[in-house]
Amino acid sequence: MSGNSSSAKSLTSDRTPSHTRRPLQKVPSPKKQKRRKSQAFQEAVTGYFFLAPALILLGVFLLYPMGAAFYYSFTDFYILKPDDISWIGLENFTYILQDAEFRQAFWNTVYFSVIVVPVQLAVALVLALLINKKIRFRVFFRTAFFSPVVMSLVVVSILWTFMYNPNEGLINQLLGLVGIQPQPFLTSPDQAMNSIIVMSVWQGAGFQMMIFLSGLQNIPNHLYEAADIDGASSWQKFLHVTLPGLKNIALFIFITISIAAFKLLVQPMIMTQGGPLGSTKSLVYHIYETGFNYRDVGYASAMAVVFTVIVLVITIVQRVLVREERG
Amino acid sequence: MKRFGYVVFGLILLFMAACSSDSTANSEGDGGAGSGENASSDTVETGSVETTVEASGDEDVVLDFWIHQTGEDETKAYIDLIDGFNEAHEDIHVNAEVIIDDGASAYSDSINAALVAGNLPDVMAVDGPYVASFADAGVIQPIDDYIDEETKNQYVDSIIQQGTYDDQLYSLGAMEASVMLYYNKDLLEEAGIEPAESLEEAWTWDELMDHAKSLTNDDQYGLNLFMNYGVGEWLTFMGAPLAWSNGGGLISEDGTEVDGYLNSPETLESLQYVKSLFEEGVVTESPGEMQFEEGKAALALGGPWIAVSAEDAGLNWGMMPYPYKDERVSPSGSMAYAVTNNTEHPEQAAELMKWMTNEEAAIKISEATGMPPAQKSAFENMDKFNERPWSVMKEQVIETAHARPSTPAYPVLTDAFAQSFHAAALGEDVESVVEQQVQRVKRELKRFEE
Repeated sequence: MSGNSSSAKSLTSDRTPSHTRRPLQKVPSPKKQKRRKSQAFQEAVTGYFFLAPALILLGVFLLYPMGAAFYYSFTDFYILKPDDISWIGLENFTYILQDAEFRQAFWNTVYFSVIVVPVQLAVALVLALLINKKIRFRVFFRTAFFSPVVMSLVVVSILWTFMYNPNEGLINQLLGLVGIQPQPFLTSPDQAMNSIIVMSVWQGAGFQMMIFLSGLQNIPNHLYEAADIDGASSWQKFLHVTLPGLKNIALFIFITISIAAFKLLVQPMIMTQGGPLGSTKSLVYHIYETGFNYRDVGYASAMAVVFTVIVLVITIVQRVLVREERG
Repeated sequence: MKRFGYVVFGLILLFMAACSSDSTANSEGDGGAGSGENASSDTVETGSVETTVEASGDEDVVLDFWIHQTGEDETKAYIDLIDGFNEAHEDIHVNAEVIIDDGASAYSDSINAALVAGNLPDVMAVDGPYVASFADAGVIQPIDDYIDEETKNQYVDSIIQQGTYDDQLYSLGAMEASVMLYYNKDLLEEAGIEPAESLEEAWTWDELMDHAKSLTNDDQYGLNLFMNYGVGEWLTFMGAPLAWSNGGGLISEDGTEVDGYLNSPETLESLQYVKSLFEEGVVTESPGEMQFEEGKAALALGGPWIAVSAEDAGLNWGMMPYPYKDERVSPSGSMAYAVTNNTEHPEQAAELMKWMTNEEAAIKISEATGMPPAQKSAFENMDKFNERPWSVMKEQVIETAHARPSTPAYPVLTDAFAQSFHAAALGEDVESVVEQQVQRVKRELKRFEE
């Protein structure tokens, strides 16, 4: 599957976004090959020149803060006393083990990810399959499904907070029409996280849908034609042609959604402030609160280090799985 | 087909623009309680102010001054005052920078960043209950040397109480805040309930419960506690007086001991009372933004800004004092100013603080924001506060206002109380939640033990 995707053309390929397609292989002409060596050095210099802004930004805004956070995680850095930082060894890390809030935030995050990842993957796939059909207003639907992605997550969160309101919210008004009691979507500890999950899937699925769509359009048509000749039903075609054709793309989406899900922050921050009773507090939000609201940068850094390790482990596990799948 | 897509996209952009301007408007309603009531806005604009008085270059002293704002009228009032100061003081020039308070953490984030970078201004606005933590960390300095007893006595007691830590005065403010029991005149009349006309007639807890019950029906709630502000400073600001009124508290007087205070029987009883209000169904934990203004709640425990929004909504409203159990106490505290340790000119900085909080300033800012002034004489000289219903707010600020606890652990303490209050509202087991929160505050307090 990996080699032939770029050559496949479908009727609508001019409308697919190009970011997931592989760039065409450059085939140098003999004349160009002669010049290549003298150009190589110059190209390398130019290359690094173009790389420099990215590298510098990466260093200043990613590598340095990561290093600093690692150092601070062994200190009692309190924001109001930046000149009075002392080394306290592993104290922050041992407190993580006793911190009930950290535990709660951890399991909240796991719950969120375990639900969101498969659901969002499935929703994105179904949407992609739907709008890959030649139906009327296809561009409209594609825009509609994709539009939540281009909206600011903060705006979306505020809107959904209004929609979820038990007394005046849109959703409860609709439920009221069919005789269902108003639901405390964001104010009940049992429902709040699920409400955030629904909203997150709605917001995020459009993006993965576009990736799936380009994957669908890269599946060569002759495979379907062959299946037709063999007398396959549409379900069989989906199972034996579409799904295998999408495997690599699905794995890529799986990994990106998982990491994004683990970094859950904006929705609980805007919609519930981590409540009710901490039921929607995510790890990243707990770290943010500890560092900025409670000024305990040392402990927040320690949690950030632990969080990084957790995400790293998840990513490595997924990578290993992916490799096996390919083998 | 493609064009249609663009139209949709354009509509979405318009929609987004409309929403973001909406959320900025929201945060203005918070007035100056200087609290985290409204976390639903993400736009923060910060910048230097165009003051009309330019530095001439001859001044001996240049002061950097951070002010926070929640509305345009308020900023205009500040700028007028600063212009006046620059004109009146030839040897001092003030450079003001306005930082918009988004109701969440934008202002404190700015302070934190400047603190770590070591470039705090000479004078800055601080939220009242946070004075202790800044003072304890040596971020701000005592101003007793520059403020004489007579000047000090001009301020309402609660503002001095709020600005004092370890028996030293650190901050002064121009505005106070309070929480009143607002009522919908039409609905009370319909139900035949007489509102309280003065402090002495203030409703007791039992009266509040009874009246709220009889005012609750299918169309309306009896009471609104503005739970839509979220679990934040509002709950402590509005709710802590219930504990004080019952003889309980959040923390010891010296701000070092939480066990036996936050979990005292009296405090727990006040939280049980809150729980019973919700269990009786007279108040909801998720009211709409305008529940009281739209006549869907007969009573409301709200800040001074509710008077403004109720008036704007054309509601026939009135206000009563904060309800009590044993002792009459009421919420207090607002943004104030403090001199940082960064300044080389503490004397001039204190001069600026006095200017920004004197009677004239207090009146000006009160008129711009609707918040009560922090100067006793300002109350006398503002007609508004000498007739009903505003006279009740005046009496309350002068006689029953109780500052929030003065402790360096305040950021954690206030969240601990807010979480407990919220747990009560949700009908949870109050005692176990409070016990958990006590442990949290205890750990935080250890940081400040010498």
